[in-house]
Amino acid sequence: MFFHIVLERNMQLHPRHFGPNLREKLVAKLMKDVEGTCSGRHGFVVAITGVDSIGKGLIRDGTGLDHVPHQKYQCVVFRPFKGEILEAVVTMVNKMGFFAEAGQVQIFVSNHLIPDDMEFQSGDIPNYTTSDGSVKIQKESEVRLKIIGTRVDATEIFCIGTIKDDFLGVINDPGAAA
Amino acid sequence: MGRRRSRKNEESDDFDDEEDDFRGKKRWRSEFIDDIAEEDGDYDEEEDDEEIEDGFIVDSGAELQEEDDGRRKERGPFFPQEEELEDLEKLEQTIQNRYGPEYGDYDDEMNVEQQALLPSVKDPKLWIVKCLIGHEREAAVSLMQKSFNKGSVVQIRSVIALDHLKNYIYVEADKEAHVKEACKGLRSIYSAKVVQVPIKEMTDVLSVESKAIDISRDSWVRMKTGIYKGDIAQVVDVDNVRQRVKVKLIPRIDLQSLANKLLCFSLVSRINLIFHGIHVIPLMTSSVDLEDGREFVKKKVVPAQRPMNIDEASEMHIRVVSRRDPITGDYFENIADMMFKHGFLFKTVSMRSISSQNIQPTFDEFEKFWKPKDGYYDIASFSTLAVSRRKCHFMKGDAVVIIEGDLKDLMGWIEKVEDEIVHIRLKMKGLHETICINKKSLCKYFKPGDHVKVVSGAREGVTGMVIKVEGHVLIIVSDITKEDIRVFSDHVVESSEVTTGVTRLGDYELRDLVLLNNGFGVIIRVESEAFQVLKGNANKPEVVFVKLREIKRKIEHRFSRANNIVCEKDVVRIVKGPYKGKQGSVDRIHGGVLFIKDRHHLEHAGYICVKAQSCTVIGGTRADGGRHGDSYPPRAVPKILQNCIRPPGGPPTEFNNNDVDGGGHRGGRGHDSLAGKTITIRSGQYKSYRGRVVDCKGQSVRVELESQMKVVIVSHNQIYDHVAVSTPYWETPHNGLGSETPMPPRTPLHPYMTPMRDPGGLFLL
Repeated sequence: MFFHIVLERNMQLHPRHFGPNLREKLVAKLMKDVEGTCSGRHGFVVAITGVDSIGKGLIRDGTGLDHVPHQKYQCVVFRPFKGEILEAVVTMVNKMGFFAEAGQVQIFVSNHLIPDDMEFQSGDIPNYTTSDGSVKIQKESEVRLKIIGTRVDATEIFCIGTIKDDFLGVINDPGAAA
Repeated sequence: MGRRRSRKNEESDDFDDEEDDFRGKKRWRSEFIDDIAEEDGDYDEEEDDEEIEDGFIVDSGAELQEEDDGRRKERGPFFPQEEELEDLEKLEQTIQNRYGPEYGDYDDEMNVEQQALLPSVKDPKLWIVKCLIGHEREAAVSLMQKSFNKGSVVQIRSVIALDHLKNYIYVEADKEAHVKEACKGLRSIYSAKVVQVPIKEMTDVLSVESKAIDISRDSWVRMKTGIYKGDIAQVVDVDNVRQRVKVKLIPRIDLQSLANKLLCFSLVSRINLIFHGIHVIPLMTSSVDLEDGREFVKKKVVPAQRPMNIDEASEMHIRVVSRRDPITGDYFENIADMMFKHGFLFKTVSMRSISSQNIQPTFDEFEKFWKPKDGYYDIASFSTLAVSRRKCHFMKGDAVVIIEGDLKDLMGWIEKVEDEIVHIRLKMKGLHETICINKKSLCKYFKPGDHVKVVSGAREGVTGMVIKVEGHVLIIVSDITKEDIRVFSDHVVESSEVTTGVTRLGDYELRDLVLLNNGFGVIIRVESEAFQVLKGNANKPEVVFVKLREIKRKIEHRFSRANNIVCEKDVVRIVKGPYKGKQGSVDRIHGGVLFIKDRHHLEHAGYICVKAQSCTVIGGTRADGGRHGDSYPPRAVPKILQNCIRPPGGPPTEFNNNDVDGGGHRGGRGHDSLAGKTITIRSGQYKSYRGRVVDCKGQSVRVELESQMKVVIVSHNQIYDHVAVSTPYWETPHNGLGSETPMPPRTPLHPYMTPMRDPGGLFLL
């Protein structure tokens, strides 16, 4: 789920950036540092929408770096929750299940959580398909899945999902469309 | 000092209590105590101290007084005065009184009593009598019956029949004649053989510890002998009298050889064959005579475990007879005197050939037992497994579900665990009190999505997420390998710990680049005794298992030459070869070969090994890579750039040897690239000193310190490159590059580098 929250960060700026554009440079650095990262608590920072306040900077003794204590910024974060239903794009299919990605979060759907009528078929394009061939899950298919568990690594969130419930499964099949 | 004081107290007490007597008779008391010196003068002086001390230690003095009194009372009469010694008997009496029962250890007392109960010559003796084998109990009972019927005529005291002692019973009687008389006329006892048991051995008759383990039905045991040695079996029936159990096993039968054997033993067929000139030798020989006459037992080849297929057997012309077991009433198929049902072999074995303690079937064995034909799970079997389970780790806070009894299927959380009883708080509105349940009726409960860790069993140490719960079995997706594992719910606990598995073995860690006997590679998995190494064969994944000793050494992470086209941690995309299209970050580089870690790649822990030529860099490191997703194919690097990117101070010949295409002609001579660089020493005596590298030789580097007029020798791993030539270390705060905005100014931060030098990686292609 996406959230728009205010986060805080301590930053350090090298004196070479001091000058008239100090604030811009600070913001740019903030964006560079933070966008795309992930924290366990907040999830993935997708984009910074604005900087609220920048604390007073202090030059640190010894290093000469400017230490800006509290930079508050607003950002959009994305964090998957247990029980959440998401759409994701399948990236990889193998006999243990398939991997799908919803943005930056990777979700693994094990073959135990794939409806029993779908079977794995290896080959050129490995896929899961029903016995009558009507529904197929392969790479680049879009699926709707439900997250049953999340695990937060240091900088990554990994989820396990299922498509074994009602209204879950393939939304859009690139193979069929083509 | 204390002793002195006490003695003084004694003396003062003497003075207090019995002044007249003891004044002159102090001597007697001091035979044990050497206080002669004390009695010498100066007593007055010490009296003051004594008084003061007495004042302090009034209480303890009082106690001491009592003790001393007691002691004195002992000692006094112990060394009685000459006058009192006249009566020796009295002395003896007093000693008896004093050192009698009330004074001794209470432990000894008990032993004394026991000793007193031992059989003595006056007690009835024990006789061992031979009887019919297997009929010991019968013999004992008949003797008992006889003595009841005949009353006092039968003069034996008791009869003992021991379970573990075959062929004999014990009879307690005063005389052998009594025993013989009593045994006369009983069929099962041989009254001719009556032997007395020596007194000293009498207690041993009854104090032998028998194995108190009761093997119960449906429990799991393991066979100790025979073809089925080590196999898991389930007890079907127990016969305590005959010490036999009927067990259910997965058969290990070679149908072919069985058929041949049966064929051989069938007379008609044998004659037939002989008639035709074919001498049929039974396949399973048990002994072969060697030339020198020694007989040696040929090892039987143990057939594999396979459920018995009746149809197959009949195809081989093995006689299958359907028999009915009189006791249970079940129908068995009988092949060559072995009973089969549902594919399992039912065998009656003696209790001695099975071990029943702490037998835990592994999951595979259990599966084999209950899935002789694929896809057949017996729910009832799980409950039997539950019954026989012994190991159950319950901890406070675990979620559990009750599996038997009235409260079946009720969920709760554990509040307290005692030995066998567990206190649970139930998950039900209105029920706030905890209830006590036996451990056996509980089972741990996990929901899909729980993160757990396996704490016992074959899969110990694995962490993962539960995705499915099937009775007692959980299916877990392992964190590391992403494969699903089945484990018993008893063997897991909920934990948020994510294990990376064993990462170190000996000197080597996961992800290390190591040199092997034949090549090099990156360690992708560490197992208990060996490593799995992805070898550096580009485009041809080769994984070898190497033992610790087969690794020559670790290839140190070296700073490669300045003209790195690709650095570690760069994101690259593979454009050529079998892995075309894959993308990942470069983990290790060696000899023109890149080890790329792609988390989407499931094989080899995500490592792909490719030649540097077949990749293109997508941006720099992760910090700014995403933004500037320019991909410059290495080939397109203009020569001009390359000319500028030269190792400062390094000989031009180095540069010429580079691959124009290549990403890395690195390794091997990596150290040379350090020469002339400004570095900061990060550990050791010269920690935090900056200096310029003068020379490198192997591991040692000579550095000219900036702050002192000195050239020092440090080890290579004590320095790091201040100039982020190969890898921009964004983490190090002092490194001003970390704070760079995308357009790095060409400040003379690196005095030896030409301004075109861009450590941001933008032009390093």
